[in-house]
Amino acid sequence: MIAAIPSAVLVGVDATVVSVEVHVSNGLPGFTVVGLPDAAVRESRDRVRAALLSSGLQWPLRRVTVNLAPSGMRKGGAGLDLPIAVGVLVASGVLPPRSVEGMAFVGELGLDGSLRGVPGAVVLAEVLRRYRLVVPEESAHEASLAGECDIRVAATLAALVDRLSGRRPWGEVGTTPDGSFRAASKPPGRPHAADLADIRGQRLARRALEVVAAGGHHLLLVGPPGSGKTMLARRLPGLLPGLDRPTALEATRIHSVAGLPLPPGGLIEEPPFRAPHHGASPVAMIGGGTTWMRPGEISLAHGGILFLDELGEFPAVVLDALRQPLEDGQVRVSRARGSTSFPARFILVGAMNPCPCGEGGAPGACRCSRAAQERYARRLSAPFLDRFDIAIRVDRPLAQELFGPPSAEGSATVAARVAGARERAAERGVRVNADMAGPRLADDAPLSSGAAAIVERQIRSGTLSARGMHRVHRLSRTIADLDGAGEVIGETQVREALLLRGQRRLLPGGGLR
Amino acid sequence: MIDSGQLEYHAGALAGLPGMTPVRLAKLLDGFGPVLAWQAVKAGTHPADPRRKFAVPARRTDVDDVGRRYARAGVRILLPGGAGYPSMLEGDPGAPAVLFASGDPAVVEGRARVAIVGTRSATHYGRQVASELAAELAGHGVVVVSGLARGIDGAAHAGALRGETGGAGPPVAVVGTGLDVVYPPSNRDLWARVAGRGVVFSESALGTQPHPGVFPARNRIIAALADVVVVVESHHGGGSLYTAEAAARRGIPVCAVPGSVHSRASAGTNGLLVDGCIPVRDATDVLVAVALARAGQDARAGAPPSVDVAPYPRAQPSRSARAPAGARASRDVERGAPAPLTPAQRTVWEAVDDTPTAFETILVRTDLPLAAAAEACGQLVESGALRSGAGWWSRS
Repeated sequence: MIAAIPSAVLVGVDATVVSVEVHVSNGLPGFTVVGLPDAAVRESRDRVRAALLSSGLQWPLRRVTVNLAPSGMRKGGAGLDLPIAVGVLVASGVLPPRSVEGMAFVGELGLDGSLRGVPGAVVLAEVLRRYRLVVPEESAHEASLAGECDIRVAATLAALVDRLSGRRPWGEVGTTPDGSFRAASKPPGRPHAADLADIRGQRLARRALEVVAAGGHHLLLVGPPGSGKTMLARRLPGLLPGLDRPTALEATRIHSVAGLPLPPGGLIEEPPFRAPHHGASPVAMIGGGTTWMRPGEISLAHGGILFLDELGEFPAVVLDALRQPLEDGQVRVSRARGSTSFPARFILVGAMNPCPCGEGGAPGACRCSRAAQERYARRLSAPFLDRFDIAIRVDRPLAQELFGPPSAEGSATVAARVAGARERAAERGVRVNADMAGPRLADDAPLSSGAAAIVERQIRSGTLSARGMHRVHRLSRTIADLDGAGEVIGETQVREALLLRGQRRLLPGGGLR
Repeated sequence: MIDSGQLEYHAGALAGLPGMTPVRLAKLLDGFGPVLAWQAVKAGTHPADPRRKFAVPARRTDVDDVGRRYARAGVRILLPGGAGYPSMLEGDPGAPAVLFASGDPAVVEGRARVAIVGTRSATHYGRQVASELAAELAGHGVVVVSGLARGIDGAAHAGALRGETGGAGPPVAVVGTGLDVVYPPSNRDLWARVAGRGVVFSESALGTQPHPGVFPARNRIIAALADVVVVVESHHGGGSLYTAEAAARRGIPVCAVPGSVHSRASAGTNGLLVDGCIPVRDATDVLVAVALARAGQDARAGAPPSVDVAPYPRAQPSRSARAPAGARASRDVERGAPAPLTPAQRTVWEAVDDTPTAFETILVRTDLPLAAAAEACGQLVESGALRSGAGWWSRS
């Protein structure tokens, strides 16, 4: 007898429907899985058999063949355990075919017959939307985020069989209409462990964070060890507005596929903050892997912040691989067996020492030789450094700042200004000012005659390149939006943009221009 | 009871204590004088040596022994106000508290002095120009001052020795090591000839080995000894730019030899020219600068060199005069003319000093809103009153 049970496997951050066909026939008892299974699927033979026996069910002493269709595509993950088990039960006559009509299954089996959660449940549920989907209890939460779909939950294989055969009714747990579930459990407010009010002094850096949050510009913090670069970067997510619904769903899917825990509300609504160590491999950063393409750190940072501390220590190959995603907002990972693209739109925050000793060529303080400074600066390619709209020097706070009265604003105040500025950008039809196309700058960010003269002088004196000019232009647009300065950009805003853009030779060894 | 030479020997003994630096030595001698300072250090009661780190080595040192060592090495110990101490160093804010001389220190007096400095990794062009300039200047009776290093320095000394005729323009060197430690060793012959015909100065005691700190410090003495500083070749950010800066801070004109724009060894000198330094094509250009500089010195004779504003020659709003125009322009800015400062600009200007000042420090000192401070900084850089570097600002 034959049974065909719908299920799904992950392909990148998407999923494909897989039909699990089980054929039980007379012949030498055996159990084969065909249709390009990977190791985890091939091992499911043993898990499925043990789970059936532990659940008090009969294992057919006949020839069992499982085909995973479409058979030309490689399948990975343990989520096919449950559909295989259900297929065997139907094909061997334990369950009537009618009982599984219109149903799909996803789940991993334990040897004792318990059902275990699978990564990427939200993505799997999306492609199986037209079925009544049975998932393990652990994954119910995630699967319900897929929106309108009928989700059923089972804790063990035995309980599932009871329900499918009609001996017990389905519980109310499963069926979740869109949203309601999330709204109930969402924690109130936006509690952030890292508040901007904790930072003493650092007025320039605080302002830089505000502009970064408002305009989506990439930020480079250059400063000696112990100057608080990491502390500053950690405050950035608290200044960003919450993720909009499409981005939140994308971020949730990415985290789900990567098997990372989701927040209590299920949906990722806070901008993620990812700080991979500089030892991370290119695959860990960009994404990839064998049969199962896993999203990399840059995708896990989608909608939020990718913080690269000790930027100079990252291998050049990793940093240069970041350039294309920085431009496109997504990354295409190609492997011999196919390619997939992951969303990767993030704000890049880099932190580094200006030179090996950290003093950055300040006369009298820096102990590095010219050659050492140049060697250090050469680790970062000029095209990569050019992506940073803002480059500022961060120094250790002064004593009077550390012990003076805290007068700084908290994250909430700044976040309100950021939201206002983002609204103004949205009115012009761009997501953030950093995305503004060059040709639109003249219309959307007109410079006053005085401001234009300043920019022109900078270009004439060779301190600003044409490319740098556009970046200064976008920055000053963001600053004007933050200040509520109206449509025409004035001299003050351009001056501030030039300051934030960074001085020439922020790395004394060269590189930044 | 103090014999003749005892002051000097005590100063030499102090300078030779392990761990001594010119700065510490100046502090120890300040207000004490060598003999009292030596006794206080030895007794562990010197206020400038609160941890008594010099007390034990001092007790093990015999001053007369030190005196004999210097006499044997033929090295004179010169003290400010004493015989042989170069008169142009008297009153200099960075004057060495003790100066060692091998040769005749009197050769620097009463003659025009030109420092010829440049990179150690010089090109053939640079060495050739340095040597030609030095030879011609020495032939005109000018004292050529340099640092006896590889590259430009060595070429300048060699040229000066070639051009010097009958004691008309004796060579002068200021080195970073002790006078018995020849560095680099390849210059041993040159070193001996400079000491034989002119003088080799050092502020380090006998036996001081070369280390990176002593060379920039030595550069200030080269600058202070000269009427005019000529930079022949310098890499971008090279050490001879410190000499140029030290000179500019003392109001001493800085000249630079132009080089190919493709040559990295000329990046620093070409930069100096862009900043308004005097270009040098031949010895005549230098001699004109020397004449102008000495005329200026005579005019303000008696007045100590002004160091309140660092007159680093730079793009000048007014191109009225060649040599100290940068200095004059900066003072004009400080007085409020020709471009009157806005209140914010004045506040920022007062918050920035000659040492690199970070923007954050400017903010703290001025308490201005960030945008206003950014604007004022930008304007002051544009007007040439401030210059900005790797995240810091300083007075031009």
